[in-house]
Amino acid sequence: MSKFKALFAIVLLVLFVASPVRAAQDTIKIGAAFALSGSIAVYGEGFKKCVDLAVDEINAKGGIKGKKIQIVYEDNKSTPKDCVMAVRKLITVDKVPVLFGPAGSSNFMAAAPVAQQSKVVMMSAQGTAEKLTQAGPYIFRIIPSNAKQGQRLAKLAFDMGYKKVPVMYVNNDWGLDLKDGFVDSFRKMGGVVTDVIPFDEKKTDYRTELLRANKGKPAAIVNLTYINEGSIQFKQAYEMSIKTQWLCGSAARAPKMVELAGKAAEGVIGTYPSIPQDTKQYKAFKEAYKKKYGDDKIPIFGDYNYDMVYLAVKAIEKGGYTAEGIRKALPAVAKGYKGVTGDKTFDAKRGMLNADMGLWTVKDGKIVDYKK
Amino acid sequence: MDLLLHLCVVIAIYSIFAMSLNLEVGYTGLFNFGHVAFLGIGAYTSAILSLAGFPFGMCLTAALVAAGLTGLLLSIPALRLQGDYFGIATLGFGEILRLVFQNEVWLTKGPMGLPGIPKPEMLGVRFESLPEYLGLAVIAVLLTYLILGSVTESPFGRALRAVRDDETAAEVLGKNAFAFKTRSFVIGSIFAGLAGVLWAHYTTFISPSDFTLNETIVVLLIVVLGGKGTRPGPVVGAIALIFLQESMRFLRLPPEWTRYLGPLQQMVFGALLVALMVFRPEGLIREKGRK
Amino acid sequence: MDIFLQSVVNGILAGCIYALFAMGLTLIYGVLNFVNFAHGELIMWGAYFLYLFISEPFSLPLSVAVAPAILCTVCLGMVMDFAIFRPLRKADRLTLLIAAMGLSFLLRNAAQFFWGAEVRTYGLEISRGFQFLGVSLTAQQILIIGVTVACVILVYLLFFRTSLGKSMRAVSDNLDLARVVGINARRSIRAAWIVSAALAGTGGILLALDTNLNPEMGVINLVKAFAATLIGGVGNLWGALLGGLIIGLAENLSVLVISPGYKDAVAFAIMVGILLTRPYLVTGKRTD
Repeated sequence: MSKFKALFAIVLLVLFVASPVRAAQDTIKIGAAFALSGSIAVYGEGFKKCVDLAVDEINAKGGIKGKKIQIVYEDNKSTPKDCVMAVRKLITVDKVPVLFGPAGSSNFMAAAPVAQQSKVVMMSAQGTAEKLTQAGPYIFRIIPSNAKQGQRLAKLAFDMGYKKVPVMYVNNDWGLDLKDGFVDSFRKMGGVVTDVIPFDEKKTDYRTELLRANKGKPAAIVNLTYINEGSIQFKQAYEMSIKTQWLCGSAARAPKMVELAGKAAEGVIGTYPSIPQDTKQYKAFKEAYKKKYGDDKIPIFGDYNYDMVYLAVKAIEKGGYTAEGIRKALPAVAKGYKGVTGDKTFDAKRGMLNADMGLWTVKDGKIVDYKK
Repeated sequence: MDLLLHLCVVIAIYSIFAMSLNLEVGYTGLFNFGHVAFLGIGAYTSAILSLAGFPFGMCLTAALVAAGLTGLLLSIPALRLQGDYFGIATLGFGEILRLVFQNEVWLTKGPMGLPGIPKPEMLGVRFESLPEYLGLAVIAVLLTYLILGSVTESPFGRALRAVRDDETAAEVLGKNAFAFKTRSFVIGSIFAGLAGVLWAHYTTFISPSDFTLNETIVVLLIVVLGGKGTRPGPVVGAIALIFLQESMRFLRLPPEWTRYLGPLQQMVFGALLVALMVFRPEGLIREKGRK
Repeated sequence: MDIFLQSVVNGILAGCIYALFAMGLTLIYGVLNFVNFAHGELIMWGAYFLYLFISEPFSLPLSVAVAPAILCTVCLGMVMDFAIFRPLRKADRLTLLIAAMGLSFLLRNAAQFFWGAEVRTYGLEISRGFQFLGVSLTAQQILIIGVTVACVILVYLLFFRTSLGKSMRAVSDNLDLARVVGINARRSIRAAWIVSAALAGTGGILLALDTNLNPEMGVINLVKAFAATLIGGVGNLWGALLGGLIIGLAENLSVLVISPGYKDAVAFAIMVGILLTRPYLVTGKRTD
């Protein structure tokens, strides 16, 4: 029984330590329900770096009207259930009027109704599913949807002369949505999709899936893959001497993927929603990132997260620190705003009006813009 | 305040889910490691039907029937297996079912999930806001508690425990162990389906990632933490576990530790579980008549 | 390139990894009669220990670092047993299972705490595979197959050719009876943990060599390894090897025929099928 009491004491201690933190009054708080643990924590850490970078810059310049910005991070554990929990906590305990939502379209969509009902603005810098913002007028995204990327990818394949391709895709919300976008556009152009191969996330062995895609030795294979999965696949394809032109989506466009896959990733071409990297905004961002973190391996979607912070701050400056004010101010401040990721004007569905699609490729172990 | 209400709804739904598992694990000794499958069947059946425009009462009934029927169909072959093997067979079933949710895109929208599931409306009452939904959930908990309670206190419940403690002896006394286990499994599946329905209409969005092996583990923990084979055990377990898990969100740590916070919370959670098993394996509430 | 033959080779490769994991699991299950859910974390920590020794401040060459890495994994296994499973020796199965799950949680997140969630690699140069008979195989893959065979032979020799192995088998058959006839059960259990952890460490390192490292690399393969254990018959080393190969082959060949979205389902379907139609294969006795 004494053991039980000891355990009980521990639990009480935890609950005691856990009593809510009283917030300092002179900061402006913005919520961020990011994946800090769980299956997609690898992305969450990168987003956080870029958000912190933007916040540091803004605070160094005096914050918002003299008040410092503070990001309240909340772990969403990469599961829909905990995303709902994290968003609820940010809204009710930290009382933020605006928050950055979870990555992963299905995680975001699980939490979006909560923000909408509580009338709190929720923004996404990486949710690309077509229906992401349908929960209501408080939900925004600053990244183009998959349909636009699918079109671009189809055009890329067609322009390069690949009229018959098999499609591999990661079997989750992002992969399925982009696959549908690509297949629709590609068929409309008159292309033929020879095989459709979904593969599971987080596996270590994709050899036989690759073999199946390579059946009949197609000149190109469309592979809508992630960082880890992509690196394993390109490596295993290289080992099996599969020689084909890989065409990818945006989620594989990460220095990490190239680092992991080495020379096997050489020559991969893909699409990504962005403007070319020679703008002064992008260069400044890259410089600042390098200065803060010591390398220029900008995390995937990090640039979007960076822009998201600036947009949110501008909206707070213009509309005041209330959800209603921010919601109304967001489209106005975003109109014509040129961020690191280009023009941020919203369309009627609170998505991106102008979706410039870039092309990337891997050359000499570096991700660069693809030019014919 | 909303956070507290939300926590209460989550606890209520987990209580139902855990009570249904407790009937199988605690009272009947069936190690069901695929219980999440029935949560999923309940949630998906009700969600798909109500998105097609059917009234909530009908969706609920259909979901419970579907969960019960699947339980019956699974139990006939699976119950031929004993102990751990039964557990692994059900675990396999749970994983297969999740893959079905994931891959049958025409029906379930696959990984995209089903958004916009309507809030329930019954007998002219619409359970829209948090307090209203909590009311509905609490009613469901009470009903489950009473029904499962009377089942386990009845002669049927005593027979279940007899089967659990010594199957051969129970058979000798003329109890058909297989039939008892089947009934227990089907009842458990139906109530898991109920929890699924409540979950789907609460979050208004479900996707296959709601129904992973992880959920099974969480609910199993709730049952064991609360005290398996006891009436209030699952409810106590749900309250304790969910408060424990969520209270860790409020740990006071410097901001530069954020990267370490997530894993740290999970580490503490794991360590507490291990400690609990070492120091008080019977859970918070002890079953009467057991040492 | 012959697609079918190459798929068979791929299946064997995947099967070898599953088999290495399954052998460790089946050993603990045989001797202590519970499912060590934390076995996946031993696998993962084995791979990370190697990573630790090849990076700063140790900077050992890869081949040298293998020994301390496996040694550390074995120590971790012993600590697990000493701190958690020994006090629970008399506990019921559910308690043991939950304790193991808690431990798995703790260790997985500890790895993420120290190394972060990002994916890492040992940084080996990749190379094209050797080609013969239309099948390609890389040096690492030959290593995987070779090490698996070596492990099986070593464990076989230990089990059937030494007195320690004999007492381990006795403990595995019946712990109480073994005690009565004067077998040092404690020593046998310790030996089982050492072998199991060493197998886990080896398997983890091989898996990481072939692919990458991440904190979830163990747990995602564990359920398959468990299926392999059951298919082969619990406590049966040859069975674990066979079960691993069956699952590896079936999974990979299925990809050629059905939608790869159901790849995982194949392993579970085989497992459930075998459990339901031939339970005596698994339990070693007819129950009907």
